[in-house]
Amino acid sequence: MQIETALLVAFLFGIATYLILQKSFVRILFGFVALTNAANLFMLAMSGSPEGRSAPIINDSPLPSVDPLPQALVLTAIVIGFGLTVYLIMLLYRIFLDARTTDSESLFKSEAGDE
Amino acid sequence: MKSVNSFMLRALIGLVFLLVNIISIYMLLRGHNLPGGGFIGGLMTGMSFILLGLVRGWSELQRELPLPPLRMAAFGVLLAILSGLAPLLWGQAFLTQFNFHWTGLPLLGELHVGTPLLFDCGVFFLVGGITVKLVIVLARSTSGLPAFTPGETPYYASTLEGGIEETANEEGDAHAN
Amino acid sequence: MNSLIWPFLLPILTALACSLAFGLPGVGRRVFVALSAAAQFVLALFLAVRTFQGEGVPLVLNIGGWSASLGIVLVLDGLAAIMLCLATFISLICILFSYAETPVRFEQPLRLPLMQLLVAGINLTFLTGDLFNLFVAFEIMLVASYALLTLEANDQDIKEAFPYLAVNIFGSALFLSAAGLAYALFGTLNMAHIAVRAAEMGDAFSVKLVVVLLLVVFGIKAGIFPLYYWLPNSYPILSFSLGAFYSGLLTKVGVYVILRMLCTVFPHTLDGIYGMLSWLAGLTMLLAVLGALSRDFIRGILSFHIVSQIGYMVLAIAFFTPLAIAACIFYVIHHIIVKSSLYLIGGTGLFYNRSDSLARMGGLAAASPWLAALFLLQALSLAGIPPLSGFWGKYLIFATGLEGGRYWLVGAAVLASILTLISMLKIWLAAFWQPAPEGGVSKPTPPIRAMTVLAGVMTCVSLGIGFGAEPVFRLSRVAAESLMNQSQYQEAVFSRLGKEAGQ
Repeated sequence: MQIETALLVAFLFGIATYLILQKSFVRILFGFVALTNAANLFMLAMSGSPEGRSAPIINDSPLPSVDPLPQALVLTAIVIGFGLTVYLIMLLYRIFLDARTTDSESLFKSEAGDE
Repeated sequence: MKSVNSFMLRALIGLVFLLVNIISIYMLLRGHNLPGGGFIGGLMTGMSFILLGLVRGWSELQRELPLPPLRMAAFGVLLAILSGLAPLLWGQAFLTQFNFHWTGLPLLGELHVGTPLLFDCGVFFLVGGITVKLVIVLARSTSGLPAFTPGETPYYASTLEGGIEETANEEGDAHAN
Repeated sequence: MNSLIWPFLLPILTALACSLAFGLPGVGRRVFVALSAAAQFVLALFLAVRTFQGEGVPLVLNIGGWSASLGIVLVLDGLAAIMLCLATFISLICILFSYAETPVRFEQPLRLPLMQLLVAGINLTFLTGDLFNLFVAFEIMLVASYALLTLEANDQDIKEAFPYLAVNIFGSALFLSAAGLAYALFGTLNMAHIAVRAAEMGDAFSVKLVVVLLLVVFGIKAGIFPLYYWLPNSYPILSFSLGAFYSGLLTKVGVYVILRMLCTVFPHTLDGIYGMLSWLAGLTMLLAVLGALSRDFIRGILSFHIVSQIGYMVLAIAFFTPLAIAACIFYVIHHIIVKSSLYLIGGTGLFYNRSDSLARMGGLAAASPWLAALFLLQALSLAGIPPLSGFWGKYLIFATGLEGGRYWLVGAAVLASILTLISMLKIWLAAFWQPAPEGGVSKPTPPIRAMTVLAGVMTCVSLGIGFGAEPVFRLSRVAAESLMNQSQYQEAVFSRLGKEAGQ
């Protein structure tokens, strides 16, 4: 279970880095979504292998529960990531309306041309 | 986000809205020891309003909202902070929690209530309010309506600026000239 | 110890009152927010007096009374108390300045609540004793700063907010990963616990990995050499009152957290990391000051100077002797006041000349000799001319550098100071000395007078630090000693957390 999670986190971080370095706004946006999810998954993986453990709630299971702290933390992180994503969407939409482009390279090139 | 135009949905949306909200309040109340809580309940309530907006249209949704959503969110934060501050009156640390257990109540029988429930209600209002506000602004500005209604504009926008769609059009005109 | 929660709660409650009770901008709301900001400053002073009466022994609040590593603690030690006072003071001055800058009817309705949220985030960052809570505090601060950055930006400038946002979201994701790694490694996120376990591990590679990861995160926030690109372009899109607030505090929060991590949390034996930091600091100073020389508007020049001055602070941290840490704290105190007041003076100049581009400015020395005197004092202080406050900070840093035989780095710092002076002279010559531009200079109106007075108050504080360097340095010394004293910090936290936590 741990090795698969590690691979998934690595894959997500890799794909996020690749997407963030692209020019198109939409790809950059998806890059950041993947990045926050990668970080969240990484945090969640720190509670250890869930095999042979029960969910961290009060129940009748005789098994010991998994570490609840990373789960509580990751919930906070998810909410923060959610807010940031919405803000980023709105900012990129406004830049698109103002500059009439979704290409980050031409966005900053036109400025250099003006001066 | 365009509204969905379907007779079936229009007829059923009131029932669906009611059912989703009953479940969301159930989620809020069971959150003490079981999966659930203010966050999940608030999200569900927010989603029910979004569903209402999708079916009945976004401008109509805004007329039907009982309270401005952002105001509700601010009230939620206030409630959460006050529930955290209450223990200070008894000299306890900030956010200390107390639980009460009553038995033999009429109708309810056994009841277990803690002050975290008050905090959870705050979270419920916060999450519900914020979700509705975010989606309304996004949906309105992408479906051709101004992001804010005339009534709420002075609360969010400076008198010096127009909506982003208007300024964008002016910009486009300026470039065309 | 419940008073520790108030520096965080007061701004939040003010922001909530702004949106619940006074939704619209108005004179009443302005008075309310100013009174609240003043109350926050008084509270911070009260907490600081209590801390320093106890010889810098940290005050601790265990939120919710949880035991062991589950709970969150707030810890107030000498450095945190100093930073709280500075943050609330700057916020008070900047709020008053923004009143003079914008008439009530043009005020952005969300501006004051967001400024209060920003203060709440900054105060929580100073107070927290928990790594994950630090992340949350950073996010409160950053989200408010994103919103304020784009709130009043015009259509051309808004794109400069994008690199700021992108770099900082990346930093946040990295911070989250670092916190996860720290939890896996130490089994706790409480800073005092981490300190105990990291000391047990000694020189393990994994500890160094966490430290480097955290330094990258806080380096982004502070604007250290390879990571500062986002700063000099995004700060100039702010209005001057907000610019003064951002430049005074946001990057210094990064410096504060680096100090906290290296001094209080991790063992004092990470020599390789200190060496790396010192060279990065040298590069930061030189490259950023060259950037400042190339700019031709006041906000641009000052934004590059923020980065350059961060170099001095990080250099002092990298020398890592008790004296150097005290010098760093002294430098932070000096820098926050001077940088903000330079921004305020620039903002006043903008109102005289209706532009802050050096090509279109001029005649300020004739129009307002007082403003010219204030600028000259603060610019010379920034460059480090005795007996102004900047001199003492730089002198202490150079002295510890020479003691440790780091001649190249001290040489770079001296060179950067000279270049700072040259770029400040550039503003002086263009805006103050040169004859007035074609449009002439505005007559001083009441708002402009109020702005000059506020800049004057800041300059007086800065002069006070310069002439009263001895007591201020003694305070920094006490703060540095309690910052470096890990066992004192741990004892203070564990005595609150209960016995099972201390192990």
